[in-house]
Amino acid sequence: MAEKAEPIAGLNGVVVTKSDGDGSGYRTYEVYQRERVGESTEKIKPIQLVSDAYRVDPYPTLEVLREHYPCYRDWLGNRYWLTRYDDVTSVFADEANFETRSKLWFYGLEGFGRDLRHLLAVETAIARGLDDHVGNVAAGLISNMQVDGTADLARDFAARLPLTILAETLALPESERERFYALYWQAQRGAGWQPELQRKGEAALAGMAELFDPLVSARRGGEGEDLVSVIANAELDGGPASGADVAATLLEGDHETLHGTLANLWFLLLTHPDEFEKARSDRRLMKLAYLETLRHSAPVLSAKRFARHEVERFGRLLPEGALMMCSAAAANRDPRVFEDPDRFVVDRRDMCQREPRGQYRADGLASGIAFGLGKPSKHPAVPEDRPRSRYALVRDAAVAASMALVEQCPELKLADGVEPRLSALSVGEMHTCWQLPVNT
Amino acid sequence: MHGFFDDLTSDEPAAQGSPFPLMPEGEAVDMGTAPDGTPLIDPRIFDSPEFFRNPYPYYRILRDHYPVYHDKLHNCYWVTRYDDITECYFDDEGFNTIPKGSSSGVLGNTQLELSGVEHRRRRNLYGQHLVGKSLQLRVPAIERLARDMIGAWDEAAAAGSEYVIDEGARRTVELGRMFANEFPIRVVCEVLGFPQEAQADFYYWYNSMMSGLGGSETHKQGVEARQHLEDYVEGIVEARRKAPTYLYDKDGNPVGKDIISKLCETRVDGDFLSTEEITSNIALIVGGGGETTRGAIMNLWCLLLRHPDQFAAVLDDESNWDKAFHEMLRHSSSIGGQPRHNTFDIEMHGVHIPAGSLMNMVDFSANHDERIFKDPEKFNIFREDLYSGKLLRSGYRKEGRCSHMAFGVGPHLCPGAWISHQETVVGSKILSATMKNPVIREDKMPRDIDGAGPSPMGIVSVRDLWIEFDKP
Repeated sequence: MAEKAEPIAGLNGVVVTKSDGDGSGYRTYEVYQRERVGESTEKIKPIQLVSDAYRVDPYPTLEVLREHYPCYRDWLGNRYWLTRYDDVTSVFADEANFETRSKLWFYGLEGFGRDLRHLLAVETAIARGLDDHVGNVAAGLISNMQVDGTADLARDFAARLPLTILAETLALPESERERFYALYWQAQRGAGWQPELQRKGEAALAGMAELFDPLVSARRGGEGEDLVSVIANAELDGGPASGADVAATLLEGDHETLHGTLANLWFLLLTHPDEFEKARSDRRLMKLAYLETLRHSAPVLSAKRFARHEVERFGRLLPEGALMMCSAAAANRDPRVFEDPDRFVVDRRDMCQREPRGQYRADGLASGIAFGLGKPSKHPAVPEDRPRSRYALVRDAAVAASMALVEQCPELKLADGVEPRLSALSVGEMHTCWQLPVNT
Repeated sequence: MHGFFDDLTSDEPAAQGSPFPLMPEGEAVDMGTAPDGTPLIDPRIFDSPEFFRNPYPYYRILRDHYPVYHDKLHNCYWVTRYDDITECYFDDEGFNTIPKGSSSGVLGNTQLELSGVEHRRRRNLYGQHLVGKSLQLRVPAIERLARDMIGAWDEAAAAGSEYVIDEGARRTVELGRMFANEFPIRVVCEVLGFPQEAQADFYYWYNSMMSGLGGSETHKQGVEARQHLEDYVEGIVEARRKAPTYLYDKDGNPVGKDIISKLCETRVDGDFLSTEEITSNIALIVGGGGETTRGAIMNLWCLLLRHPDQFAAVLDDESNWDKAFHEMLRHSSSIGGQPRHNTFDIEMHGVHIPAGSLMNMVDFSANHDERIFKDPEKFNIFREDLYSGKLLRSGYRKEGRCSHMAFGVGPHLCPGAWISHQETVVGSKILSATMKNPVIREDKMPRDIDGAGPSPMGIVSVRDLWIEFDKP
């Protein structure tokens, strides 16, 4: 390359480099790529990133990427994988260059309903619902689990808790709840790549709209403080809210952080007795155990970001629209940041113990990366009248529920001969523990 | 009571291997159906062995039900109808060709990745040497190379080759190994003006580059091979700048310079082309000139011999070779399609596509679009809806006839289309003069993946082609 080269963005984004010496003319994406890192990817095949082995245990594959190909061009999935802590967090903090797309976009149903979570009243109703109901709901679920002395913590506790709290928050009539759970779950799963699930999800979204339409009408003008009433009474530019708006708002929020992390937390505690002893001793340590779970076994493995325009990062020229797979699972086990990252240590000293607020290295320590909805749970400016971010709300709910479990079931242990594991129902979905039989 | 949460425990490991069974050719796996009867497409099908051997029924579902299919697993949009694809190909500003490196460093800095005026300028630099009068000058060389290769069969048979077997009055030849694999490479070497002694290296580089495409685990080998090719070509270019070399006619008279020598004296805006510009375009000629023509020869012979009445018609009238060539490319070409990226947000068939998305234009599917070609799965060299005249960059679409998509259409029409046509037809004419009463030895042909029957042609060209004919 000639010195004093002057880059010019040419026709169609081709980068032309004017050189004044050897007459070598122009540079393209491809030249950029050949100049970097002696590009070779023989240590991995892209099919591994959608394989059944990855679905069950993604960590060995992600380690190969993180240690050898920190910005891996996955030709099969037409995307780039980011796997190092600093790279992943730099994309999350860079709204100017990278955008998220909503679940409704993935559905191709952008006009279906309005996501109203930007309204303070809606956020407050969700927060109030979590705070007010977690105690009762957890106590009720735990009592049910104690009837027979055996239960499945994943199914009867972790999976039920967030949806039951949500039903309370919405003040749903008892008769509609089982139907709501199924619809909500199908709607959440349908935003992935599987057409069969998408079809069911579309039907579920329509079903939710139908379910909420009469409730919204009935509660409009009322005094209720539940989420449906708040949405029904919101003043909106495009006319009053409908059942579809409630469905869209619920879709873009999600239960995965609470459900998945609770299940993973208890999976880790029950399989690490020493750490369990630490965590159960007090609320503060249980909170640390929760944070360490988000780091060690985040239920949402990766978040998608799209390049808003052509941008040079990570030694590459990323084209407009490039899909970045930001792997929290890989970044959270980056040995550059966390010592002995594969170990589950409740009172880890090299991790920030506060929620990340707009930066990932408060106090000079890295936070684990967690997601709700594929978005990082960072809220750059936490509003003054809502002192906790949603990240913290969910954390406090999970800790409260876990402490309730410790107190109500002092003898809690894994059922005999059980070997629980983490897995996703399909590649790309929540990575969590689905069966965790215990003696209560 | 069995409730909703009782169903949340199904994380059993998937069955090993592909989730899709092998189907009879022309039938699609049942991937589910929407309540309105629309068949669903599971995007994992595109990675499955079933799809590679039997792609056409799936493309038919896409054409009929999802003319633009948003594949969220592969983060792309599949475009499958003839009309849509041709429209996108002609609009190279709206749908640009920067594949963001899908040739991923192996083919290098070529005009595959350029658009508009930059593309036209570079393409014409070497494209002009592969068409019209310049091409005619190269036909004698093509004929000579074909005769040489066929002439070596006697010797190979005598030496006990596995691939030329004499049995009584009949001879069996594996056409790939004994002709089609190497013939196009030799032609490329010849027209470029590479010395004979470099051909073995050249063949290795070519194979490595081909297998290194697409970012696979052999990518590194491909990039290295390209580097070696480039280093080698650089030396040649420097030498040709001082002393050009020539092509010769049958009588040994020089008729013109080889392509590298020509490129050495080409000026753009008064400047000579840089060595880097020449080598990267050479790499593209190398990459584009081999596998595709090999596939054309193999598929043409396979299809003709499996349709003996049409083969007889070709033997009766040599002008039918052109028709057969074009119908073969429509029916079973060896290039599946081209990637494009939309430069603006657009909506096609109700699907909103954000700017910068990968749109896979499926030429295979366009060639089998029943909106254009009647009874598209049928091989028929006399079909009335296919244009088989002189190749036109603008395509052909008049009086109920349409050109096939195997070479694409518009500004990026394959620049090697004409020479590939010559190689295939000239080579086949010479082959047909040698191989009398040919039949396919079906017993020796490649088997399907499950071994149950003969391998369908699928989206790759025929692997081996065993032909038995009268011993000359």
